[in-house]
Amino acid sequence: MGFRDFTRRDFLKTAGTLTAMTALGDMPSELFAATDGRRLVKFPEKTELLLLTSYPPQLETPLHYFRELVTPNEALFVRWHVTPIPTSVDLAQWRLNVGGNTDKELLLSLDDLKTKFPRVTYTAVIQCSGNGRSFFEPRVPGGQWKNGSMGNTTWSGARLKDILNMAGIKPGSVDVSFDGLDRGTLPTVPDFIKSLPVDKALEEDMLIAYEMNGAPLTMLNGFPARLIVPGWYATYWVKSLSEIKVLPRQFEGFWMNPAYRIPDNACGCVPPGAKPQKTIPVHRMTTRSLIINPEDGTSLRPNRPVDVMGIAFSGGYSIRDVIVSVDGGKSWSEAKLGKDLGKYSWIQWTYPWRPKKPGKYTLMARATNSIGESQPFESLWNPSGYLWNKIEPLTVVVR
Amino acid sequence: MKTILVLMLTLVLATGYVYAQEAASKAASRPGSLHSITLPAIHTELKEGEGRTTVETRCAICHSPDYIPMQPKLTKAQWTATVNKMIKVFGAPVTPEEAEKIISYLAAGYGTGN
Repeated sequence: MGFRDFTRRDFLKTAGTLTAMTALGDMPSELFAATDGRRLVKFPEKTELLLLTSYPPQLETPLHYFRELVTPNEALFVRWHVTPIPTSVDLAQWRLNVGGNTDKELLLSLDDLKTKFPRVTYTAVIQCSGNGRSFFEPRVPGGQWKNGSMGNTTWSGARLKDILNMAGIKPGSVDVSFDGLDRGTLPTVPDFIKSLPVDKALEEDMLIAYEMNGAPLTMLNGFPARLIVPGWYATYWVKSLSEIKVLPRQFEGFWMNPAYRIPDNACGCVPPGAKPQKTIPVHRMTTRSLIINPEDGTSLRPNRPVDVMGIAFSGGYSIRDVIVSVDGGKSWSEAKLGKDLGKYSWIQWTYPWRPKKPGKYTLMARATNSIGESQPFESLWNPSGYLWNKIEPLTVVVR
Repeated sequence: MKTILVLMLTLVLATGYVYAQEAASKAASRPGSLHSITLPAIHTELKEGEGRTTVETRCAICHSPDYIPMQPKLTKAQWTATVNKMIKVFGAPVTPEEAEKIISYLAAGYGTGN
């Protein structure tokens, strides 16, 4: 992959952007481009991303960035819940407060996080619970994401477990809550606080990350430090952390209940339009794959080789195989898996294809993880539009 | 009148909060310890219609108007549920009369027609 895949369309897009910049003056605050009819906008420390909402910012990554194994920081999606969001952090002032049902209270500076705890680094997919929500039928309200509220990032930070053990969790503790610097405009707006059961919080791979891809976190991705819950949806990955609190009881807060819930059953689904009887918090990510090349609607030439390429990942288990169909699901072939960056990362896959006859071809990919979890042919539905992992067919024309 | 007062109070509080933060950071910041960004002003034009001004002023207290055209076409019942959630869960300072106006505007401009 790489420059070879920089298509004529990409070139035109870039050229169009440059023309627009010239026409609009020096520093346009927003740029229009033909990307599914959505606007491309430029936010600080970010490249042009697809606008869902500007305040609080919800920005989606254009799919061509997923040709890269690791997503560039400036291209990673952005999702905040309440306003005002932090736009200014003074590291001389910022402290991470760790306390509650603990032996002692900690006030950790960023330097403390970097020097008092071993540094841990791994690559993990970060994905919004609502990624793919706009594909649900019947449609559901909420952030209308396509497939760009995800990315693959190399995170570095301190183990949450080491921090909690330094504070000393008292016996009888139940949950740990995580609060960031964002606050509601009105006092009535529920503060964005998430919680995890103590056992989950003490798992080896839970991280308080202060670097993404070797650089400080961008402000919009949670500067100066955020929680990493690898394998779980990003709703738990609280940004711009300010407080970690150990609780002797179950945490009750709007963003845990009634928000971010899925039906309490094996598929996390109900019949389309139905209301679930019982719900639980959304948590581990479903297994999914996505075809990145060729793009939907592309025209190909007969007898020319094309690398069908994509990504696959699951919630904390490595990908066992990816199978690809170029005939609408009638026959399947195994794709070749790329470099393995560990069970939390996505893996790239390729399938060399040489379409012979002209016509329409429907391409599909299906990933299965090491414990046999895979992707459904028909969309599973839930009222909030979570867990999207349907096999998504795309069509190319050979002529 | 009451809602205007609440709105003004909110603005005063929010501004005060920002100033307090800035003052605190100025007092103790070391060179290079401050990291700041400025968010771009992005304008989204809502459809014309009866109640647009109410929507623009009330809803914008907490979020940008682009939340509205982003949604799929919703039924009047879904828009009603959304507006009620803003009032009951998030405490949006909206009177029942204003809520009715907002719902009518949303259902007319961004609704399924039923």
